[in-house]
Amino acid sequence: MTDVERATTPSRRRILVVDDSALVRLYYRDTLERAGFEVEQAINGIEAMEKVLAQPFDLAIVDVNMPRMDGFSFLRTLRRSATDVATLPALVITTEAGEQDLDAARAAGANFYLVKPVSQQDLVRHAAALSGAPT
Amino acid sequence: MPFVKRDVTARAPAGGQPADDTVPHADLAPHIAALGSPDIEVRWSAARALGGRADAVPALTTALGVEQVARVREAIMTALMRVGDEASVVALLPYLRSQDAAERGASIEALQALPGAILPFMAPLLADGDSDVRLLATELARNMPAEDATQLLCRLLEREQHPNVCAAAIDVLAEVGTLDAVPALEACAERFAGTPFLPFAVSVAIARISDTDR
Amino acid sequence: MAGSEPRRPRGVRVTQEDVRRLCEFLYRRTGMLFDDNKRYYIDRRLVERIEATKSESFPAYFAILRSDADHEIEQLINAFTVNETYFNREEHQLRCMTSDLLGNVIRGKRPGESIRIWSIPCSSGEEPYSIAIWLMENWRLVDSYNIEIVGSDIDTRALKAAGEGVYGARALMRLSRDVIGRYFQPGADGEHRIDPGLRESIQFTRANLIDPSEMARYRGFDIIFCRNVLIYFDDSSRRIAAENLYDCLAAGGYICLGHSETMSRISPLFRVCRFSDAIVYQRPESDHDGR
Repeated sequence: MTDVERATTPSRRRILVVDDSALVRLYYRDTLERAGFEVEQAINGIEAMEKVLAQPFDLAIVDVNMPRMDGFSFLRTLRRSATDVATLPALVITTEAGEQDLDAARAAGANFYLVKPVSQQDLVRHAAALSGAPT
Repeated sequence: MPFVKRDVTARAPAGGQPADDTVPHADLAPHIAALGSPDIEVRWSAARALGGRADAVPALTTALGVEQVARVREAIMTALMRVGDEASVVALLPYLRSQDAAERGASIEALQALPGAILPFMAPLLADGDSDVRLLATELARNMPAEDATQLLCRLLEREQHPNVCAAAIDVLAEVGTLDAVPALEACAERFAGTPFLPFAVSVAIARISDTDR
Repeated sequence: MAGSEPRRPRGVRVTQEDVRRLCEFLYRRTGMLFDDNKRYYIDRRLVERIEATKSESFPAYFAILRSDADHEIEQLINAFTVNETYFNREEHQLRCMTSDLLGNVIRGKRPGESIRIWSIPCSSGEEPYSIAIWLMENWRLVDSYNIEIVGSDIDTRALKAAGEGVYGARALMRLSRDVIGRYFQPGADGEHRIDPGLRESIQFTRANLIDPSEMARYRGFDIIFCRNVLIYFDDSSRRIAAENLYDCLAAGGYICLGHSETMSRISPLFRVCRFSDAIVYQRPESDHDGR
């Protein structure tokens, strides 16, 4: 993007994709970038914390199962943060949609959840809605 | 100069930990007893002092079963990982089934460091009745030699019905798979043609494998 | 550069997919990200390493890398990182120390109490001396506390050099003439020697990060600089080193890693802390805080 383009184009929404699978991250990145989002990645909750503290994001898409810091632990840490990252919208990706899992997602501070594998349409639709992008 | 220089080497080790990593056999008992202490620091130090001690595996296993504090649990798992024999693998395996995501992740990390010791357990794990266990087990193949990982994961892919388990296997194969994986991958893409993500994952994995392995 | 391949070393072909596979492996293991803009950088180093390991093909090289035979991961990372050591390297962390970390550290301390700072690995001493000089130049409370600075390394030759405190012009390139004038004495051949008073103030010791018995001697540190060493350890050694470092820190103490390093690839023991100049990690105040 040239400086002129940047100055005259509404800024793109920035999404942090957090999943320990390289292929899942690639899939989300390709899909979301084609839909006009800027995408960064992290492989677990610790890296996700580092990135949300270092740069502004409009949405975090977070897998539940990751080593060293799982999705729910990341969300709890995020929501407890003293800075404005505490209110970062979070879309949680779970493997099951049982009562327990949804309660856990809500309790950890997720704004919404999807069950994997996620379709490209669902991903883009919910990413747009949760990040406040015009649909 | 406002700086103070003290002789660090004269400082006595804290927490009652002996200044020798190799705990002599006769000294195992106090550390094992300390594993049951009500004091978090004492349990933590005990777990670390017993790291790599094969004769401490039963005690470490018992302690792991009742430990509530995450970092002590992980220190016990590290201690078991440092032993790295069949008994320590057996001690760590049940935690793949834990309801606690952090505990599952910690056990995967410890087991992943033991590709040789875990190999005999892989076939049963990849055939486990619980899809979550099968899914986690695919990750254990990542640090194995390419031929072993490919063989194990292809056998899984051939019969696996759960898309997320397939997805996990495909991710590992994209990194370590050999050309032998291509038929199973293609069959998987066909079986799950209408399922999101899987056809994409297979095409990336095959591109990596075909182009790399020649 | 889409579709073009790097030069072929003695007939070993390296394709775009090979490089993607390699970059994903590196990212997963180290956190270092090489996007399409930086791929060319990896291509050249990969070719170097394939030749150096006498690998017949990329798959053969990748197998060596995955098994970390002969520390190949370290060799590869070294091939594209600048490992030169000099004074005030990663100055932003020194700034973070005086702007933010020390303010928190002294909250629990009375004037005159000790503040303990550890540089491990300290190599030939540039880092611990930099810390000392920076504190004297930038921290108004430097005289109000007993500051203990320890520099440790596994390499006794480097430690000996650290004790000598003699450095060439290149190591001093980030320091102003004023600072050099205040803390160094000029020597032969354009070299400079740290003033004896400062040299005497730093304790240099030999320590091995993964040896619990050696590390047991180090306790109650308020700030640890552990830069550009953990990235080279295998998973098992990293866990042990992280547990050891945790034990060496006082509750609430801070640890700073190298700029390409991240605790996400090392250990869940520490909290991530963001300050204006740096991201650092903290041993929680208690077991129920921050995890």
